[in-house]
Amino acid sequence: MSEASDRGREEFLGEAQDIIEAFSRNLLSLDASFKKGSVEPALLNEGFRAIHTLKGLASLFGVTGLAMLTHRLEDLLDGLRLGRISISSEVLDVLFAAVEACHLLLAAEREDEDDGAVPDVVHRVLTQIELLGRGAKAANDDDFTIDPGILAVLTEYEEHRLRANLEAGLRLFRVRVQFDLMTIDKELALLKDRARQLGEVITYLPTGESSSPDVLELDLVLASGEELALLVSQLGGEAIAIEEIPRRNAQATARRESAAQVLSRTPMSASHLASSVPSSASVPALERVVSVQEKRLARRAVRVDIHKLDRLMNVVGELSLLRSSLRRMADRVKNSGQRQLGGELHRLHRNFERRLEDMQDGILEMRMVPLGQVFDRLARGVRQMSRDVGKEVRLVITGAETEIDKLIVEELGDPLLHMLRNAIDHGIETEAERVRAKKNPVGTIALNAYQKGNHVMIEVEDDGRGVDEKRLIERAVQIGAIEPSSAPDISRDEVMGLMFLPGLSTRDAVSEMSGRGVGMDVVKTNIARLGGVIDVHSERGIGTKMTLTLPITLAIVRALLVSAEEHVFAVPLSSVSEIVLLDSKTRFIDGREVMSLRGSTLPLCRLAEFFGISKQPQRGRAFVVVAQVGERRLGLVIDSVAGQQDIVIKALGSSLDRVRGFAGATELGDQRVGLVLDTTGIVEEVLSIHDTLRKAVLHA
Amino acid sequence: MPESIVHSSFLGRHAEHAQELLAFVTQGELYAAPLAAVQEIVVPPPLTVVPRAPRAVVGVCSVRGRVVTVVDFRTCMGLPPLAQGRRVRILLGQGENDEIVGLRVDEVRHVVRLAAGELEWTAQSLGGDAADSVLRGIGRPANGEELVLVDMKAVLTKGCA
Repeated sequence: MSEASDRGREEFLGEAQDIIEAFSRNLLSLDASFKKGSVEPALLNEGFRAIHTLKGLASLFGVTGLAMLTHRLEDLLDGLRLGRISISSEVLDVLFAAVEACHLLLAAEREDEDDGAVPDVVHRVLTQIELLGRGAKAANDDDFTIDPGILAVLTEYEEHRLRANLEAGLRLFRVRVQFDLMTIDKELALLKDRARQLGEVITYLPTGESSSPDVLELDLVLASGEELALLVSQLGGEAIAIEEIPRRNAQATARRESAAQVLSRTPMSASHLASSVPSSASVPALERVVSVQEKRLARRAVRVDIHKLDRLMNVVGELSLLRSSLRRMADRVKNSGQRQLGGELHRLHRNFERRLEDMQDGILEMRMVPLGQVFDRLARGVRQMSRDVGKEVRLVITGAETEIDKLIVEELGDPLLHMLRNAIDHGIETEAERVRAKKNPVGTIALNAYQKGNHVMIEVEDDGRGVDEKRLIERAVQIGAIEPSSAPDISRDEVMGLMFLPGLSTRDAVSEMSGRGVGMDVVKTNIARLGGVIDVHSERGIGTKMTLTLPITLAIVRALLVSAEEHVFAVPLSSVSEIVLLDSKTRFIDGREVMSLRGSTLPLCRLAEFFGISKQPQRGRAFVVVAQVGERRLGLVIDSVAGQQDIVIKALGSSLDRVRGFAGATELGDQRVGLVLDTTGIVEEVLSIHDTLRKAVLHA
Repeated sequence: MPESIVHSSFLGRHAEHAQELLAFVTQGELYAAPLAAVQEIVVPPPLTVVPRAPRAVVGVCSVRGRVVTVVDFRTCMGLPPLAQGRRVRILLGQGENDEIVGLRVDEVRHVVRLAAGELEWTAQSLGGDAADSVLRGIGRPANGEELVLVDMKAVLTKGCA
């Protein structure tokens, strides 16, 4: 495949993904509004349009499976928005299933597996769509008190909305507005927003008349239950005229009266809604509006492969190396007696440094996306899972706008979904149990995200039965992760840690969803790979809260350079809480060296010994870098601190995948490479409770 | 050097034809690897030791912004390690998963061109266990020293294991 068509395909995949995600958000709002008992028609229409676009794209790129599915889906949505099919929870189920099917087809396409074969899931969805389609009723052709002249200019959907509004007893208004062509898109959107507060905008059409070539006059048809006076006061302005479109009474004699006549009764109109669209003058004008809008939209966003941003970030990294050389040179010049020249060089250097920081921030910002992207998918998952197990669950999301590195968002979906699955499956009780426990029969799961310093915190909190610690310990003993004799000494926090052992599940019966004993350990591994940690808090009978602590970005980190036995390591500053001098009176508790730090006990890890690189016993002054990962602390004992530096973490080759303890490497300047410590991994490894457990974790 | 010239198999399908080989010395012995399997010869930049890494991995270094794992040919061959020498070079080639890995050798000599008749392939291993699977035969140039033929990919893969 040529590079150009590859890029086209990449763009298609990206755009298709966006559309499906937007559609899925749309469905979630639809589901919410359906549950409240009213369906927002605009939502259905938006959904229809999204799928319509996707269908076009899919056929264009020859993705047959997706094209077929979206074609049927479009029909279904068309039926829904035109009121031929009424919305129900079954319909919503099918729509949600269709979203999954789209994802599936897209994934297959991405993997280049689209061999024309259509997976079973897709077949099922197609069949369901067809079944729903059979129940469709023909369009309502009742005569109705609106002028055929107006109807003639409306699309089928607009007509349907018009009918629906009239049936609901609303009145029709015409809002005539003049827009400056330069600002029309913004102003029209504003006006539509305001109008939406008062009723529904059925359509907007150019009148074909305007005072100057830079001005476009539009008629908005608005259905509203409000009085004309109120509309005028709310929407009215200098270039806006509002009037009610008189409705023909069904019993009126002038039944065949033309729209022109109807509208000409209103004193202020010289041209008419009905006659405006078919006229040749106004059609190009309308196209102009649309194309102006589309162009502006298209210009606002660019789709960029994240790897390009990575490359840019590497360039920034190299620029900062140049920057340090510049600084060194400035120093040299200054020391060689050329003070003025040296000073100028220093100023230049500082300027360069500031610009570089701006650039770094800019690139980082580009990588940031709101967590909402993944939360939407989770909301769908929760809906499905709670139905599957027959537990009613309310998902409350906060902080969906919290931003995090795009790469992290992409990797977060599966672990979070699994955590939610666990909460629904193990945490939330059955309705009967909840009633017995005097809890709200509907379970609640809160998904909260917020930023905390250089980290993003994500909490998954359920109000279920909590973790059964006794059962957890029993299971850990059963699978041989801990000795039965040591079981009684395990602290509460350590018990929670058992949950992440491979092969551990507290469920006796293996359930459909979770409880197969794979899962939480995988979740933990995946989160750790992103440089994150999980903390668990649980109260029997009250609920469980799992907190993920994630770095905001993977690209650039501020790091502390430390040395141990002539080896220089970089420790990401985000995981360092403080640096203290090593206490000369360290003690050993349970075979582990500890020191006291302001009254609390800090476990220590002598880095050189830990890595097996120590040549002689450490002596003299030493420092302790206190690493804080989630709520656990570990003191890394090192010889000296060399300073701080912004580093770009580069991956070690896959040949070193099995080497634990390092998150990657970074260039330190002077051609040297420094290893970046995987603080999370080290804390994990050192603080594992028992040797057996440590082994279990290591071999996971 | 463009990547396209790197063959995934030892000598590709041209094994029956003449070969260009890069000759290098380690522990006084002359070895050779197909030139096509050597992407680049670099003067060793400062190496950073990676604790816990496999024994033959002497460290990582940065080659134009890329962090490269470096394997010591001596260790792979079960030979005693050499203190840094002035002529030590790193040959870059593809190891497992097509990762670019460096092979540290004592000294690089020259490129030799051997006719098919001057190459003697061995199906079985040459030498002891250590050399198993990475040595592929002997080259006997009409007017020169014998060369032991090394499979770059195999040796790089083995060194990282």
